[in-house]
Amino acid sequence: MGAISPLGVDRHQTFAAALDGNCAIRAAAPEIAKWLPHVVVAPAAANPEQLLDSKYAALDRATQFALLAAHEAMSEAGIGAKPEDAHRFGVYAGVGFGGAQTVDSLYERFYTLLHDSSQPGRNPTVMHPLSVPRMMANAPAALVSMRYGLNGPSNTYSVACASSAVALGEAFRAIRDGYLDAAVVLGTEAMLTPGALMAWNALRVMARPNAADPARSCRPFSKDRNGFVLGEGAAAIVLESEARVRARSQRVLGELCGYGCSSDADHLTAPSSVEQVRAMRQALADAGMQPAQIQYLNAHGTATDAGDVVETQSIRTVFGAAADRLAVSSTKSMHGHLIGASGILEFAISVMALEQGALPPTATLEVPDPRCDLDFVPLTARRNVEVDAVMSNSFAFGGSNVSLVARRYRA
Amino acid sequence: MLEEIVKTYLVNAKHIDPAKFDQPNLQVSDLGLDSLDMVEMLFEVEDRCGFQLNDPMRYLDMSFADMLADIESQIRANNNGALPALTLESGR
Repeated sequence: MGAISPLGVDRHQTFAAALDGNCAIRAAAPEIAKWLPHVVVAPAAANPEQLLDSKYAALDRATQFALLAAHEAMSEAGIGAKPEDAHRFGVYAGVGFGGAQTVDSLYERFYTLLHDSSQPGRNPTVMHPLSVPRMMANAPAALVSMRYGLNGPSNTYSVACASSAVALGEAFRAIRDGYLDAAVVLGTEAMLTPGALMAWNALRVMARPNAADPARSCRPFSKDRNGFVLGEGAAAIVLESEARVRARSQRVLGELCGYGCSSDADHLTAPSSVEQVRAMRQALADAGMQPAQIQYLNAHGTATDAGDVVETQSIRTVFGAAADRLAVSSTKSMHGHLIGASGILEFAISVMALEQGALPPTATLEVPDPRCDLDFVPLTARRNVEVDAVMSNSFAFGGSNVSLVARRYRA
Repeated sequence: MLEEIVKTYLVNAKHIDPAKFDQPNLQVSDLGLDSLDMVEMLFEVEDRCGFQLNDPMRYLDMSFADMLADIESQIRANNNGALPALTLESGR
């Protein structure tokens, strides 16, 4: 597994920071703050361009994040370029908005040159010829397949906040159903740009800065929540069939064993408990597990009033009496909402909880909301816990609901 | 300056050995550029001159010197016969 997130430049740094309850949220960059002074964001812990070979410098930031996360995941899995079974090895990517930075700079260039009389020789309509291959949503998957010489399918899912959870689920099915033996799955997002943030601002879902500490502005399940915080980064996971893992004696971090997905078919942005319940139940049934067998659930938990309350109801419906013994947290309180990358980042955090027996907190849950009455692991992590199975939820604008289940692998 | 802009781009971005440019009859095809590399290279000129060069793929069949001469004639045609002052530093 690999990650470059607001919490760290790799997966271990990300999880350690999550266990410490570090919140990586801050004021937006000056070119955004001058228009939107109250917007807070969760930028990645490092500029990806500085961590990559110069030949990747011209790519969109989202693709750069994806390459870094994929590199960490593939290195940890001990897989180099051009594996022998390259035709049985796919790339599955989840991306919300694609090359947002390329699109933003394209318009910025056009309007700057249009109104700038100091550069008479230049023409606003002459654009860089690589603008399209940089901004296309499947650029991250394409670059990862090229970097590793993987000839299986390279598919990109764009399902808003559930994008990379869908990518994980679809890659899992492709391997389980025998179409592939392995896949590198990734989710990436890089849209902390002026244009994208102005659009998000118009939707009135963004958190206002917390007066006491702006870093603690994203407050899922807390009575004083007021919206979510956009983050950026990527995560990647190598999925392999059990036979492939056994053949090369690779250490297994966890077993992805259940995938459920459903669509509300109702409202663009409002959540639906009925379909969230259906996705979670499908994932459990797919895994052949009972609710009581799950110890930790990484909630979608975006810190919007409707989202938090409906998800709490859905978890209660699915887990019944077991809901009171389930630990649930929203790590978005610390790393913000990575949209296309959020599903896989939060699933990776859940697998690390399984791996290390430690539960990351809902770090900013200071004022419990009586309508959200589960054990949300408030404020501080819980360490030295027995974790055998985890669930991760991702619910998207557009009404897509995805739930994934993983458990400790027993050979 | 036109020649310097193109050479600087090829050396820095496409890692072409600068010694190659000493060959008097260097062909564009000797540079090992594919069609995407060609349009990227020409953008360095287009960005500074404010128009798109015509039919870029024909340069693959020309000598490097002939390509530069053709680009220069297109720039002049777009500027009433004059060659505007170009700088190595791009506006981007």
